[in-house]
Amino acid sequence: MEQIENNIEQQNNIITFKGITFYVIEHLDSLNINETINYHAVLINGKDELFIRQIVKRIRSHKNPNIYLKPVFLLKGVNIIDPLINQLIDGTLFSLDQIPFIKKEVEKILTKNEEIQFTRQISFEAQMIVKIITYMYSREMSTLTPIPYYNSDVNYTYPPLSVNFGHTEEYAIFSIFEQAEYDGIFTSEFVDRIYLCSQCSNGRMSYREVCPKCNSSNSKTDDIIHHFPCGYVGPMNDFTNEIDDELDCPKCNKRLRHIGVDYDKPSVIHECLNCSHRFQDYFVKAKCLSCHHDNSVEQLKSKVIRKYKLTQKGIYAAVNGFVTTSKDIEEIVGTVKYDTFKTMLKYEIERLKQTEGSSNICAIHINNPNEIYSVIGSEAQKGMLKDLVRIIRSNIRSADVITFQNSSTIVLSMYEIPKKSATRILAEIIVILERLLKTAFKGVEIQFEINVVQLDYKISHELHLHNLTKDFT
Amino acid sequence: MEEILDNYIRFLVSLTPGHFIRLFWFYIFFEFTRYFVIEFIILNLAKLSRYLNRNKYDKAKAEFLFEYPLISILVPGKNEGKHLHKLVNSLKEQTYQNIEIIVVDDGSDDDTPIIGRSLEKAGKIDLFLRNEVRGGKASAANLAYRYAKGKYIVHLDADCSYDRDAIEQIILPFYLDDNIGGVGGNVMVRNYKESLATTLQAIEYYDTISIGRRVTSYLGWYRIISGAFGAFRKDLLDNIKGWDIGPGLDGDITVKIRKLGYKIYFADQAVCLTSAPKNFKILAKQRLRWDKSIIRFRIRKHRDVLSPNKHFKFSSFLSFVENITFSVILNIKWYIYAADMLINYPSSILNIFITNILLYTFTNFLKYILYSLYRNRSHTKMYEFLIYIPCMVFYFGFYLRVVRTIAHFQEFVFKKSYEDPWNPIKTSTHAKEMGL
Repeated sequence: MEQIENNIEQQNNIITFKGITFYVIEHLDSLNINETINYHAVLINGKDELFIRQIVKRIRSHKNPNIYLKPVFLLKGVNIIDPLINQLIDGTLFSLDQIPFIKKEVEKILTKNEEIQFTRQISFEAQMIVKIITYMYSREMSTLTPIPYYNSDVNYTYPPLSVNFGHTEEYAIFSIFEQAEYDGIFTSEFVDRIYLCSQCSNGRMSYREVCPKCNSSNSKTDDIIHHFPCGYVGPMNDFTNEIDDELDCPKCNKRLRHIGVDYDKPSVIHECLNCSHRFQDYFVKAKCLSCHHDNSVEQLKSKVIRKYKLTQKGIYAAVNGFVTTSKDIEEIVGTVKYDTFKTMLKYEIERLKQTEGSSNICAIHINNPNEIYSVIGSEAQKGMLKDLVRIIRSNIRSADVITFQNSSTIVLSMYEIPKKSATRILAEIIVILERLLKTAFKGVEIQFEINVVQLDYKISHELHLHNLTKDFT
Repeated sequence: MEEILDNYIRFLVSLTPGHFIRLFWFYIFFEFTRYFVIEFIILNLAKLSRYLNRNKYDKAKAEFLFEYPLISILVPGKNEGKHLHKLVNSLKEQTYQNIEIIVVDDGSDDDTPIIGRSLEKAGKIDLFLRNEVRGGKASAANLAYRYAKGKYIVHLDADCSYDRDAIEQIILPFYLDDNIGGVGGNVMVRNYKESLATTLQAIEYYDTISIGRRVTSYLGWYRIISGAFGAFRKDLLDNIKGWDIGPGLDGDITVKIRKLGYKIYFADQAVCLTSAPKNFKILAKQRLRWDKSIIRFRIRKHRDVLSPNKHFKFSSFLSFVENITFSVILNIKWYIYAADMLINYPSSILNIFITNILLYTFTNFLKYILYSLYRNRSHTKMYEFLIYIPCMVFYFGFYLRVVRTIAHFQEFVFKKSYEDPWNPIKTSTHAKEMGL
């Protein structure tokens, strides 16, 4: 063991300082990134930007939160200009002597990491969203700002998210952000607009002005001259002579004297040297450098680049390490989309204005989703939700509909029956559910809360839904 | 009123043939003779000639369709974007389809560039050219012509639409006779129901212009290929290098082709519908421009047609003489007639006036009914226009005459056509300097 300075000890590639262990990575050979899990932080010792980027990407794109949230520092302080690296490391050291200075930072990150509980997510989108928000929470970032990036296939990078994707899949970040914003994790603000290849969604393109007929960019441009006295109009070439540099009108043979007085140049004309077509407006084409598809600019896919701010709901989800997205529940057979349910509810309320009758909406809420989802896998989560729906469906009439408000709250209609009956049916459903889930998921105790609201045509459908679920914990 | 009627009947009863000729010499010798008797005779001759030459027409059509030449359709104009879509659709409906459409936007300040470019991009226009700075109609037409590739050039106005066989019919005459250098289409009024002004113009185009052009075309005197619909041989335009500065460039280019020794033909079956000025104020501006150009081009720029030089051509000479006589001299003679009556027959002036009105109206009815036998195509049922015929005497005899007189005076004395905003000042200044 080598003593570097006071309290800093190094043994092979492990450095210890006052109980904090650093795993030093100096080369890629025989590197097992999983080993980092055993240490508090990682030090990357290298000057080659490519090497550093590879290490950073392997850590931050890891699926294990104990690795991707690990504090990472650069040693030797080379001037790194790659913004992806700069965004994904926690600091830079010029020598090992500076380790005491980063101790506080490491401890702060570790403390934050400890606050986070982790749960298995159902969908890929939810997993990615959890990765971003936990990283943001861990680093006390409130906003995720896109950075223009030369190595990005979509021209902008959101380092904590983009690092999870290979070149050809990078455009998937947009749907993840859209999903997260739709589910209330982020609010966003416009930053820029980008254009992607219509075929492969790559943003790296070569823009060219081409002939509208043959798409060739091989062309020449000539001024159009209008000779006022005789009204002749033609390209400059018509006016040149072989003797001198003067311009003579081919119609009236007069010499052109003074622009604006006896002639002007009202426009230009381009001639394609490939097909001889003449035109005034080039077509602009964008050739994709990835798939080589020659897009007309109208075909390009337009995407808005936004910066994302974590909401309170997002912060709460980060701490719980659990996100449910509408993606998680939209594919479950036997349910309708929440928006569709709302529309149907609105019509039912309208109908009640005309007729006397009693209709209800009911909610079944899983009280402890974090506990359940952290124990069972994502496929099992989906299976459980499907079971819930199947059982509810078999106990209600076919005219009634079921929807998910989120992955822990199921809302259903029970139209044209008294509230008392609806409450009784719901209670019976819960008994069946508890019995079945106890058998299917041993060791998992699911706690349900239920509520029934009788429809009142004097209040809106939104308020009905609010009243239905407001008391759920 | 009763007194006036009694007085008028007494006047009519007292009229002897000699007296009638003395009092209505202008009507008898000029209006009735030229615009009815001679015209009617020639119209019959033209019809007979057409019948006798029907095999020649069939042969020309076969030859034309066998050759199937490219025809360049030029559409120059300013702020005409709103008409382009309808125009292009009307052209796409043509029976003859080997055409290229070239639209020139002469410095429009509306959406014309956007509309034109989008039509070009959609392949509905072959070439859309825009001059950022307005240069006038001639420069726009010349730019289009400069990039035309067709054997024949058809010049159109964007606000017109065309019969399905109009392009075919306007090109056909070139195959009848190698000496035909330009062909004028038959322009009719589309918006004839819009107002009284458009209805009267529709009758004018229907009777006087269309029939008049058939007559002058037969005689070889046809003088103006309408800018709304005219066809030219490309090689001749190459020779004269396109249009000169207007206003009146239609008549000017017709004269220039005549001067090259070629004939001008009126294709009555090549029908084009145009939107006529919808009120008398706008119509007056249009006719002032047209009438000024007669003085500017016939009497000034191309007066050499009247001189016996080496380019002298009898048909061109007659065309000019006829035009000048009936447009300018006759107009003056009418005032002489009016003065003659006022001075020599002041007590009978009201009776003379009423008789003239009746005579002219009678002639107009006669022409309208008789000529209907000679028309190939009609807007509407005959009686719809018939009720407006009595208005024509006031339209021709007073309204158009006054406008014409003002135009001739302004042009003779002040050369007002060079100040017409129809052309940008930069070009008019040079045209005036050069006497063009």
